[in-house]
Amino acid sequence: MTDPVLRATGLTKHYGRRAALTDCTLTVPPGRVVGLVGPNGAGKTTLLQLAVGMLTPTAGSITVLGGRPGAGPAQLAKVGFVAQDAPTYAGLTVAEHLRFGRRTNPGWDQPFAEDRIAQLGLDPAQKAGRLSGGQRAQLALTLAVAKRPELLVLDEPVASLDPIARREFLRALMAYTAEHRTSVILSSHLVSDLERVCDHLIVLTASRVRVTGEVDELMGSHYRLTGARRDPADLPAGAEVIEHSHTERQSTFVVRSLVPIADASLTVEQLTLEDLVLAYLSPSLPPHRTELETAR
Amino acid sequence: MIWFTWRQFRTPAAITAGALAVFAIVLLVSGNAITDAYAGVATCRSDCGNAIDAFLTQVRNSAGGTIYNIGLAIMYAAPPLIGVFWGAPLIARELEAGTHRLAWNQSITRSRWLATKLAIVGGATALATGLLSWAVTTWAHRIDSAAADRITPLVFGARGVVPIGYALFAFTLGVTCGMVIRRTVPAMAATLGVYAVAVASMPLWLRAHLVPARHETPALDMGNLDALLIDQRGEMLVKPNDVANAWTVSNQTVTSAGQPFTGPADPTHCGPTAPMRGCDAWVGSLGLRQDVVYHPDSHYWPLQWIEAGIFVALAALLAAVSFWWLRRRLT
Repeated sequence: MTDPVLRATGLTKHYGRRAALTDCTLTVPPGRVVGLVGPNGAGKTTLLQLAVGMLTPTAGSITVLGGRPGAGPAQLAKVGFVAQDAPTYAGLTVAEHLRFGRRTNPGWDQPFAEDRIAQLGLDPAQKAGRLSGGQRAQLALTLAVAKRPELLVLDEPVASLDPIARREFLRALMAYTAEHRTSVILSSHLVSDLERVCDHLIVLTASRVRVTGEVDELMGSHYRLTGARRDPADLPAGAEVIEHSHTERQSTFVVRSLVPIADASLTVEQLTLEDLVLAYLSPSLPPHRTELETAR
Repeated sequence: MIWFTWRQFRTPAAITAGALAVFAIVLLVSGNAITDAYAGVATCRSDCGNAIDAFLTQVRNSAGGTIYNIGLAIMYAAPPLIGVFWGAPLIARELEAGTHRLAWNQSITRSRWLATKLAIVGGATALATGLLSWAVTTWAHRIDSAAADRITPLVFGARGVVPIGYALFAFTLGVTCGMVIRRTVPAMAATLGVYAVAVASMPLWLRAHLVPARHETPALDMGNLDALLIDQRGEMLVKPNDVANAWTVSNQTVTSAGQPFTGPADPTHCGPTAPMRGCDAWVGSLGLRQDVVYHPDSHYWPLQWIEAGIFVALAALLAAVSFWWLRRRLT
């Protein structure tokens, strides 16, 4: 199976006049755990809701597992979705949620769902409205995975959880994906949540895709350069400046380069994933600064 | 989805069934008293006016009169209550709580999700109001036939098949308002407002035209006057009685030329010093006619079916709008 899990071409979504997602083109290969990062309001939820068919694009196209998102029961069966804040029916018990899943999903795996609820220590007779935030998120995840989807989409699944519940949730998610080889796309505004679990990354800022790629490739092609104060134009050829900052006598750059940086006048460091993402999220460098200056 | 819809709906359904059962017992118990009181009318063979009046007086002065009025109130209250408490929250509560995002990501399309909800709760709406209307109409049929007023506006909307149409309309109106407004309480208020306007407009402006009314202009019968009034300037109001066992839409006295008759009164016949009865004889000699538009009792069922049909059609239209909105506009 080499078809991409998700392919978007020029994908654009407007709410009235406001652009939530602009000209987004990306491909997600199968079998990955994809982290979708960006500040609040960058368009993460919009992109995920387009992927599950909750929204329809204003322009451009998106295909998920070869089909139009939300196109019919077969497409819906292939994608599991946990929406932001993990909505559940407050007046229904845990067992009734499982029954709802069983009644509405042809591929439903009841023993798996019951095992998972038992492992989590949830009381099947408990009303969902009386569960803690972490338990509710786990229940929502159980509903999403017990339908046996090929792709699992999670929108800020841990945002409302305390650190222990957060770790538990991500651990359960990892155990599941390792065992079932399901593709996962999950969003977060905290890189640290994703650092341990993702092998593919999409960074969104201000409704646009800023960078996307395999985590290993990104890690191997980004460097922090530190040296005597200098202009970005004086950097080695092939180094694309992502972020720069200057003090009186020293300059620091985060650059993307496909070849190793060999410049004795610079200290070259590897970045952590978090630093890498933060460099992209940093507003210090307008994307096309040099062109703008020549145009003026 | 059927089980799930029922699971969400079973509490309001149980409350409604309980209330209907209590009301049914009240009707059953009090129904016997009405049958007993009706015996005088049932055995009457000719000139039964006095027997009918006695029956109506007896019913109105007993518990039956209170129950009759309660029945009218319930018949008018049930459809908007269904619209407000079954219709408006049906979708709005899911949108408010965000649970639609859970429901729409199971392996069923959102159209089927809505269709199941509409079918089950809409079916319950028709069943509940159908049973209620049947019970009240049956309970009251002796009173209605004695009073000969089932086609008059107040009674008409609380009998027969019209309440079912009202209720289906109120329900789909609530669903659509909830879907468009996305908040339960404002959707409830909007449902009530639109419903009240739509249902009130029927007797006020529309119902009289659903079936061609009868229009007659007989010579004025001075023995059949409701009122004969003269004010100080001599202007007169001569009002004939309404038509019996019918809904009188308009009723006035006109001159032989067809103009509404307003006097002036001839002081020699109708003044304070004029002889008794002279005024009646004078008015009777003017060649006036009664101009009356009315729906006889025979129009009752045609009007019932047409009005119910209009509201069922409106309900179908609203259901179609809700499907369109669900697919195109709702996110």
